[in-house]
Amino acid sequence: MNLTYAQLLETNNLIQQNTDETYWLCLTRTVQESKLFPVSPYMILSYFMCFYRYPALLRKIEQHMRAEDIGDRARNMGIKIQNPSMGWCLPSFYLLGREYLITMGLIRPQDAVEDVVYVMDFWKRYELAWHRNDGHLTNRDFGHRAQVLPERRLQIFHADMYDCVEGDPLHTAAQAFMAATSQYGFLVSCESRIALHNQGPYKLDDEREMIVRDFMDLAEGDYPWLDGVAADMPYNNLTVPMAVKGVHFNIIDDWGSFESQPEFKSEHVVGVGLYTSDTLSEGYIPVGMGSREELTRTFNELAEKAKDATNKLWKRIAGWSRDQMMDAGAITYFSIVKDLAHVAGCYEMEDWMLIDQRAERFRPLLNDEYSNMALWEILGPLSNPCQRTNEYQLCQHANIPARMYSLIPYTILKDGDYTATVGDLQPGITYLPPKEDRYRTTRGVLPLADYNRHARDFTPTVCDDNNRWLCESWLKYHHDTPAAEALYRAEQQHSRVLKDKGAGLRRADVEHLRGK
Amino acid sequence: MPRLYGDTDKFGEQNNTPVVEAFHGAIRALVRQKLAASGKSWNDFVFGDAVSSITAEDFRAIDQRLLDYGHRYVWSALVSQQERPEAYTAAQGVGEDLATFSFEHPEAPTAAVDAEGRELRGCGDNVVRYDEDLIGTARYVRSSATVLNYLQNGVPPGTIAVIDDSGGTLTAPILEQFTGVICAGGTVRSHLGILTREYGIPCFMNSKISGIREGDTVRLECTATAKTADAYQKGIEMTGRVWRLSK
Repeated sequence: MNLTYAQLLETNNLIQQNTDETYWLCLTRTVQESKLFPVSPYMILSYFMCFYRYPALLRKIEQHMRAEDIGDRARNMGIKIQNPSMGWCLPSFYLLGREYLITMGLIRPQDAVEDVVYVMDFWKRYELAWHRNDGHLTNRDFGHRAQVLPERRLQIFHADMYDCVEGDPLHTAAQAFMAATSQYGFLVSCESRIALHNQGPYKLDDEREMIVRDFMDLAEGDYPWLDGVAADMPYNNLTVPMAVKGVHFNIIDDWGSFESQPEFKSEHVVGVGLYTSDTLSEGYIPVGMGSREELTRTFNELAEKAKDATNKLWKRIAGWSRDQMMDAGAITYFSIVKDLAHVAGCYEMEDWMLIDQRAERFRPLLNDEYSNMALWEILGPLSNPCQRTNEYQLCQHANIPARMYSLIPYTILKDGDYTATVGDLQPGITYLPPKEDRYRTTRGVLPLADYNRHARDFTPTVCDDNNRWLCESWLKYHHDTPAAEALYRAEQQHSRVLKDKGAGLRRADVEHLRGK
Repeated sequence: MPRLYGDTDKFGEQNNTPVVEAFHGAIRALVRQKLAASGKSWNDFVFGDAVSSITAEDFRAIDQRLLDYGHRYVWSALVSQQERPEAYTAAQGVGEDLATFSFEHPEAPTAAVDAEGRELRGCGDNVVRYDEDLIGTARYVRSSATVLNYLQNGVPPGTIAVIDDSGGTLTAPILEQFTGVICAGGTVRSHLGILTREYGIPCFMNSKISGIREGDTVRLECTATAKTADAYQKGIEMTGRVWRLSK
């Protein structure tokens, strides 16, 4: 790679954007702690894994599919390459690993430079594609908002959702489902919130907004610890479009969490729907959406399955050693972008479910106290020596002379004194039992080889060569064309209300149709 | 001994915490030593010998050195303390000493028993405002052994769980059975706060309590205003009270 000045300028800007946003997220969100899991130790272990493995894994993925093409796919389904995975974790986990190694004296800011430039460029291209409909790089870039979905999908979520009010059977069932599945998601993810994602808000009318909530990685799939205990979970990913009345979601951040004014409560929910999707599906598939009664029953059944899986998984985890808890947590964090490989059809268990041996070395350092304090120092006071800048500086949000992530020095363009890469993938280890070859998909439970083959052979209709460039800007002026009509009808094929209604509807038309 | 890139840092100073400073200082010394021993330039060393010659054993020795000085690590996950009791501070309130254990926060507001038989023993950040205060029995939940016991035998009715884990995993299989929660850590946006809100269970986070023992009857002022994000950002106190009721 011939590094250019423009490349370094852009890379350093992307690094700085992550510095600024990470500080804000950590300042305004809460600490993550657990008496069950050694959270800070596994988080730091995962950062080392990301630094050593992401460059090679992302390059491997792009041998099959470009980052921006994967972003196009992800925009049309609810899988785990949204937020926090791509908006924040991909760049920041990688940069946190780099920063720890810098402060330990193990690398310099100008080491593995080609990796850094590549990882940040991959992230940028993916994010721009995922955010194509709102035209931003990140939620932060959009003032903490994520309007990712196209009109044709929003119309279906809007049209097909069932109205509900607090206390009615559907509202009660939906609330029970979301509570049980949220809790299950925290446990699956070893105390992190990365099984949950929210996007939006989308405006339904002057009184109602819609957010779209995803629950991801619920079934037997990539995580070895779900083998058996999650065998009865019939869906790996579930999406709940949710209409609310009387609140405005003023923040949807790059961790996929939200804030609202006034404070959101379940009583504000006035409409819900339920869908599943994955790499092998034609977008979102309705789940239990045939009638209000069916949806109520489905929410209740899924809540019971989530509770059952929670109990089984908790008992399994309670018997784990600290090393096993470390592995599961670190793998959960590190593999948060693994669905990139699923979309590209090149997922391998050994790539994503093992602790890289270069990272594994650090395990003896990662006792609870050191890890808690080291994590606090790098994210809070920014007090590692490498994070301090000259005394005139005021960093964003903190007004202290510090920068969370070190920039690449420009001197390397003249003196060439840098190293390019950490190198190829190296072997990994795990204290966890081996993963069984079962992966729950929308096409049934598959062995991995079949899962990858189907992924490589499949292009969703809305992403094929006829449709992928039919963007919202074009559709604004060409909704009356056969191409637009075909695209909307393809999206509407499973819609209860909008099937074959085509491209000409506006929001008020949808509201009128759903009232019939 | 060779100098590292960071040795000429104009602005960097020591880390804030002794353990981090001790570990990072020891690692930098180790890197200097290994770089000198390799006889290579930094660029040849950094992803070659630095990876193969700096090992887990080296890092284990750094950890052990601090223990040899008499330091004992503060634990946060109970499994860490249980697997290496010699390396961590003792765990209290998780076993047979539960009957005499209580959280003791130095800033817990306390007051004598009032005319209604209420003895103020602390306060906390209310997650959701409810129409009535909550009365129940305080029971500490601090270990997976306790959770397993409740999972097998059921949570006694009226239990207000007293927890110092603001996460959502330790109590995952039994959380729904709690009548209320007093959590000594976190904020209303912690995972435990999020989950109790979803389940409709009254909950105080970031609670500062004192003298509440296993089996005490307590009253949570969950009619207090719920603490807002804005209040956290601006450092505004917004709490509900915790009373122990006369027996």
